Amino acid sequence: MNNNRDHWSLRNIILITLIAIFCGVIFWGTGFLYTGLTLILTPFGLAPLANDILMGVWCMAGPLAGMVIKVPGSAFLGEFLGSAVEVFLGGQWGASAFISGLVQGIGSELGFTLTGYKHYNWLGITASVITTTIVTFGWDMIRNGYNHYDLGLLSLLFITRLVSTFIFSGIITVLVSKLLTRSSREE
Amino acid sequence: MNPGLKLILMIILVLEISFIENLSLNVIIIIICLIYLLKKRPSSKQLVGLFLGPLIPAVGIFLSQMFYGNGGSLLAGVFATRIYAYVFLGACFTFSTNMTDLMKALEQSFHVPAKFVYGILSAFNLLPKVIQQIKVIRTASLMRGVKINFWSPKIYFKAILSALQWSQNLAEAMESHGFVEDQPRSQYHPIRLTQRDWSQFFAILVVFQGLVLILNSKFL
Repeated sequence: MNNNRDHWSLRNIILITLIAIFCGVIFWGTGFLYTGLTLILTPFGLAPLANDILMGVWCMAGPLAGMVIKVPGSAFLGEFLGSAVEVFLGGQWGASAFISGLVQGIGSELGFTLTGYKHYNWLGITASVITTTIVTFGWDMIRNGYNHYDLGLLSLLFITRLVSTFIFSGIITVLVSKLLTRSSREE
Repeated sequence: MNPGLKLILMIILVLEISFIENLSLNVIIIIICLIYLLKKRPSSKQLVGLFLGPLIPAVGIFLSQMFYGNGGSLLAGVFATRIYAYVFLGACFTFSTNMTDLMKALEQSFHVPAKFVYGILSAFNLLPKVIQQIKVIRTASLMRGVKINFWSPKIYFKAILSALQWSQNLAEAMESHGFVEDQPRSQYHPIRLTQRDWSQFFAILVVFQGLVLILNSKFL
């Protein structure tokens, strides 16, 4: 796409931040969905599943920023700032959203790192989806006590998270970047 | 305390309690944070939000650990109170710090490059415009009879198109006002990182480690 997208310029930093804010605001509107899902799943003891169902949505800012601005670190910054939007908007998690942002950011970024920042296509995105799933799941093993569940429930949670991340951070991200490539060609 | 140092302190504490499964520790943290927060005179709406916001996830994880966890009600209580401990620790930071000061502290005391600090700050100033723009995108497609949802690639596509245009305008505007990347800047509003900040920082950490040691040896 554009030639100017490969270094940390002021413009790219603003662009990453704006992408993060747009995503943050769009997800802000899905807050009710999280609360609703948690409420429905609570009587079955499956409330944590709500996290896993929505994980892909929360982790979109990272891969989107990574695909648009092809600089090492852009996925991390995008995802981290996406979580900061919640702090600015006064979300229920307050500043502890920064921690989730750090973890998710590392997850998103690792995929691009492992593919050497050369594969801004299905390969890079799939790697990012897998690392995001593993890193965030590892964090929930500790933070939310997933390590106290049996293997059956763990697999359910893990697979749900993988599918969710693949749909949102994978498929939708690739579709968006295809739309962007097409529009820049038609200009 | 210096906002940057305060953020680091909060992150350390949150990370640390994530690795310690101790009910009393969480409860003590919640009480200490609450005392600190009450001193900041929060509005009643903020207080209610603090208690109600994490309620559903906390009850959710409690029941889930009761049903499927292998640690019984004690461990279920640990994870439920942990959610509150996170939120209260986070609130101690947000209730006492403004984001502009945080960014300035990161620039002046923690050597984050100015282009990141001012780039991010200027973009966050567009937050109300972003909210407006998403409404515009949604309404525009409704006028063509298409309902656009958070899973529609189009909403992100259009959002990124706006972001591309705005970022260019904003960067040019900043540069035309004399902002030069990678150049040293003078400070109109200096934020200091004092010895007092550092001693507070280490004092809290030391007291916290002591607390962890005592709780781990006597109870649970």
